Amino acid sequence: MVPEYLENSIVRFIHLLRRLGVRIGSGEVLDALAALTLLDLSERETVRVALKATLVKRPGERAVFDKAFDVFFAPPEERERQQETYEQKKDADREILAQAGRELSFQGTPLALSDSEKRIFAGLPEKDRQNLLEFIKKTEEGKKVEQNFRPVLEKVIKGSLVYRRQGQGLLTPSEEPARDGQEMEALVEAVGAGTVDGSPGLMQEDMRAISERDLPQARELIRKLARQLADRITRRYRRSKKRQRLDLRRTIRYNMRHGGTLFLLRYRSRRKQKPQLLLFCDVSGSMARYVGFVLQFIYGLHSVVGGIESFVFSEKLARVTPYFRSGEDFSTVMPEMINRSGEWGRGTNLAVALRGLIQDYAHVLSGDTHMIIVSDTKTLALFEAARELAQLKRKVKEVVWLNTLPRQEWERAQSVDIFRKIVRMYSCNTISDLEKVMRGKIFS
Amino acid sequence: MEITIAALAKAFREAGYITDEEVVITVYLALRLEKPLLLEGAPGVGKTELAKVLAAVFNTELIRLQCYEGLDENKALYEWNYQRQLLKIQIAKETACLEDMEQDLFSRQYLLERPLLKAIQADRKVVLLIDEVDKTDEEFEAFLFEVLSDFQVSVPELGTLSARHIPIVVLTSNNERELSDGLKRRCVYLYLDYPTVEREIAIIRSRLPEAGERLAAEVARAVALVRSEQEIKKKPSIAETLDWTRSLLALDKDRLSKSAVDQTLTLLLKNKADLDVFQKKIGAARLEEYVPAEKAHGT
Repeated sequence: MVPEYLENSIVRFIHLLRRLGVRIGSGEVLDALAALTLLDLSERETVRVALKATLVKRPGERAVFDKAFDVFFAPPEERERQQETYEQKKDADREILAQAGRELSFQGTPLALSDSEKRIFAGLPEKDRQNLLEFIKKTEEGKKVEQNFRPVLEKVIKGSLVYRRQGQGLLTPSEEPARDGQEMEALVEAVGAGTVDGSPGLMQEDMRAISERDLPQARELIRKLARQLADRITRRYRRSKKRQRLDLRRTIRYNMRHGGTLFLLRYRSRRKQKPQLLLFCDVSGSMARYVGFVLQFIYGLHSVVGGIESFVFSEKLARVTPYFRSGEDFSTVMPEMINRSGEWGRGTNLAVALRGLIQDYAHVLSGDTHMIIVSDTKTLALFEAARELAQLKRKVKEVVWLNTLPRQEWERAQSVDIFRKIVRMYSCNTISDLEKVMRGKIFS
Repeated sequence: MEITIAALAKAFREAGYITDEEVVITVYLALRLEKPLLLEGAPGVGKTELAKVLAAVFNTELIRLQCYEGLDENKALYEWNYQRQLLKIQIAKETACLEDMEQDLFSRQYLLERPLLKAIQADRKVVLLIDEVDKTDEEFEAFLFEVLSDFQVSVPELGTLSARHIPIVVLTSNNERELSDGLKRRCVYLYLDYPTVEREIAIIRSRLPEAGERLAAEVARAVALVRSEQEIKKKPSIAETLDWTRSLLALDKDRLSKSAVDQTLTLLLKNKADLDVFQKKIGAARLEEYVPAEKAHGT
């Protein structure tokens, strides 16, 4: 039996791990407790290994487990220090919010802004902050400006904050953590949120914010994902009543009931045709930071699965399949493709690109084609693009849209709303998103 | 053998399996909790070897189920010997009573035991290695974790067959696809990484004592450098490290030099893209400069 105080402690530790994103079932909790009864509990490393072996079942969770273990089972004085740091951070955050609230006021009353918007404001460079305050001041001093002007001003300020955040590639600041125990929050804070993967933070980082230093690791992660998807695509066999290979053993077995006369045949057929994949990738200016990753992903797929058609588009359409099929290294393929296609970094006109696809490449659109669009949905001629998309959807088996626009911005984007009504759309601006999409059932 | 951490560590050492405490403790827990041990890690880090060593340590049979795409219950669990049944039907067509014949046809003598059933029905505790489980379909995986939770199988014609001795089950996965939570929940989990330089030196010295300390250290450092290169797709396995060392020994080399690397590199890296990356990013000359044994002690 594990002593009760320890049992309690382990359960709280598991709670912490779950808060950090580690998936742990109740059966695993029982295993962990059972494992501890078999070990010398005074051996810290032994306990660590036992808990890791019974609770952590994905390679990506190992790093966060180790960190959480060190923090949770830290000496009391260290725990106290963590709690203090957390309190200090909370105080600092409260002060930031109060200060922003005081500054962002209109005719003496604070503007109705959310905490996260206030945090964005506080995080802006001094010059940008001053510009905003200047704008509010000028508005206040305008002629015939009364309190009923407030909602308009609030809307402008909110929009401006979102715009400035995007412009600087800032990620959404974390919301205030839920209050389910100050100590637990302090622990979560100490471990650092969003670290469930092999490379802390990288998976959850917006792809456009990934630094040069982390690029090789990000590429490696993407290559693995491409490999996993390729694996799913190439899995073929399943028993079926339909066509193709005779399953002799099952046939004989089934016909035993008829005295061994083989009059009902059983088949082992291919599960289905390998899906014909068509990748349709936006390489316009707004997508610049994502394109490298997306193409890396496409390249990874091409190197494992044959028969993928790839197109890039911005104002027009360009077929890039031959570059990927050349078998050249990615670092060779990429510059050559950029130089030749001439579509890089322009504005987006999805309607023209889709029309081009339908008219000039009709042969790649069939009832077996699965089309993946990678784009942030920002395009000229929105309604025309929606019409073309609806038309295209009828010509292929399915269309899946991987949207690189951060999820929290979907609501504000009319384009997202329109395209979502036509095709399935998945958020895809972090590697973690990409992984979720791949793990999901989009091609099954 | 009484199962304790110390006894296991000693047995592994004696079997020539050089490993660390984490592996020993995890294996110990899997054995004591009688749970399957799920090993994940890149190809060539010694996952399958661990199952073989366990069989050697417990002086028992290793029953191996090699997984592949399309593997089904018939090949994993049991199958009726149809040819024999058909023959029996033909022979007994005129004479036998129909009811007797049916009972006879579905008796144990017509049952072909496949690895899973064989492991369950064994009259001693065996090691069941389910190798590369990530290559199977999800449906088979679901079937597998049912078998692994109860250690019993149901054969409609014979009833439920329970394990006489719960086997030591080792599942390996190259992590090419994520296994289901259901399967993982039922296992004790161990992620095997490539060995550290020190451990790889120990492995080389243990398997190839004729390789001197210097050559072993230089090879281990060189392999670690090659593995650290992100763009190399197929990282060298431990077996390839040993093969490389053997080839250097065959050429009477007692240290790594540029020419020795050039002559033998294809034993370490086995596809053109990786060889190209090596030449571009590392190069035999740099390797020669990087690996001298006197530096190895500082790692």
